[in-house]
Order: sequence, then structure tokens, then C-alpha cells
Amino acid sequence: MIARALRQAALLVVLAFLPAIGEAVYFRGKVPWQSRLTSGQTVDVDLARSWGENAMWVDARPDNEFAADHIPNAILLNEDRWNDLLPQFLAHWSPEKKIVVYCSAASCNLAEEVARRLRDEAKLPNDIRVLQGGWEEWQKKNK
Amino acid sequence: MAEEKQMKIAWRIVDLIVGGLFIYAGVLKVIDPIQFARDIDNYKILPWSIGVRLAFFLPWLEIFCGLALILRRLYLGGLSILSILMGVFLAASLIAKARGLDISCGCFGRVSKNFSFAWHLTLDFAIFAAIIALWFAQKNERGTRH
Repeated sequence: MIARALRQAALLVVLAFLPAIGEAVYFRGKVPWQSRLTSGQTVDVDLARSWGENAMWVDARPDNEFAADHIPNAILLNEDRWNDLLPQFLAHWSPEKKIVVYCSAASCNLAEEVARRLRDEAKLPNDIRVLQGGWEEWQKKNK
Repeated sequence: MAEEKQMKIAWRIVDLIVGGLFIYAGVLKVIDPIQFARDIDNYKILPWSIGVRLAFFLPWLEIFCGLALILRRLYLGGLSILSILMGVFLAASLIAKARGLDISCGCFGRVSKNFSFAWHLTLDFAIFAAIIALWFAQKNERGTRH
């Protein structure tokens, strides 16, 4: 029974490979194969800081973390209260500025999701980047 | 004899439900493989480059295993793979939770994005239990035949 199950499982794996390869070929140009975000979608702390007044900082962390501390002049815009916070954000928004979104650390995905929503849902034409390493990296560089 | 037939019908229904669920879940992920790759990446277990490749392969594996259960062809193979997939997935979910990661399981594509963790876990344990029960049913069926 075990040998039969293994043989059948191997056959199913091979069968699943065929359409998977076809689909991967179909999507090859649309998928970031090496990293979740392409280099054009992120920015490091030093470069973002060098943009000075031309950058608009967006804090995607929960309210309590923002209240505890945040990057100077950052605007709070998180997914928990997206509908409440978006109008406040848009009141400060300017089409010429680059938008830098950050969350707590490299392992969080909140900034990426807020950046995606600003691009896809709010349809902002700005250059929108996710801060590499997030708040944790910012603190390290500002010690 | 009638009871045996009723049991057989009951197990066929379980086959159809479990198989159908995996086909449904697989199709949702085939439609949006990049979202599924993000869901895998959220577990922070595999590097992106591996996760994104798995995101193309696993949905098709789910579909073929679901079909195996429904059509009763390559049945044991399908059950074996689904048992392993569910076991790995449950372990990964619990580890992610223990590490404090707030994850969307991605089991049913965007449909499951707003499921709570408790709801994920309940659903996954129920599916896992059904798969294990199918193993026992299969074993008993073979025992009666021989």
C-alpha cells in the first residue's frame, strides 16, 4: 500500500509540474523572481533622507506604535483605519513629492500593502517606495 | 450489507467535499500566483525565490490531488500528498503565530484574506481530520475486500 501510494504521489507531482511550468512561462515577465519588491519599489534610509523636503513619510504601523515615536513629519496611514486616515493624508499630499512608506522592520508587510493601496486604490501618480528595514533601520541610522 | 453501502456513500461524499475544496482553493491560487507567493512569503520560512516558484506549483498539485479524490484515480497518492500538505501548512501556521506574525493563510486566495486565525485553524484542522478519516476508510475498505 505504501509503495503504491508513493508511486501515485510521484506521478501526481509530475502531472502538476507540467501546467505549473506553462503558467510560470506565461507569467515570466510579470513576476519578481528574486525578491518580493523590485529595487524601484524600495529605498534605503540614506537615500530617502537625502530627498529632504521632497519626500513625504508615511507611517503604516498601528496607531499605538506611531504614538510612541515616529519619523519626524511622518503622517499616519495604516490599514486598520484606512478610511479615517486617508483624507488626513490627502490633505498633506502633493503630486510632486516622493512617498516613503515604512512599518516596524524588514519582516513586516504593512508598508508594502499601504504602498500598493496608494498606487492601486488611491491612484496616486507619485513615486511610492517602501523604506528598507523600516522604523528599526531608521532608528539604527539615527543613533 | 446495506449499512456497508451507506458507509461507502458517506465516504464518497467526504471525498467529493475534500476534493472539491482543494480544487476550489487551487483554482483561486492559479488565477493569482503572485498573491499566493506573497502569502507564502508572509510566513517568513522560505526565501522569496523559492516561495514564488512554489506558488506556481502547489496550486496545480492541489487541483490534481483534489481530482484524484473525486475521480478515485491515483487515490492513495492524492491522499498522501494532501496529508503532507495539510500537516506542513498547519505546522507553518502555528509556528508563524508563535513568532507573532500576523498572516493571511492564503488557503483560499483573496477570499480568505479576512478570516481570523482561529477560523483558519478550525477549517484546516477539520480538513486534516477528514483526510485522516479517509485514510482509515480506505484501509477498512481494503481490509473487507481481502
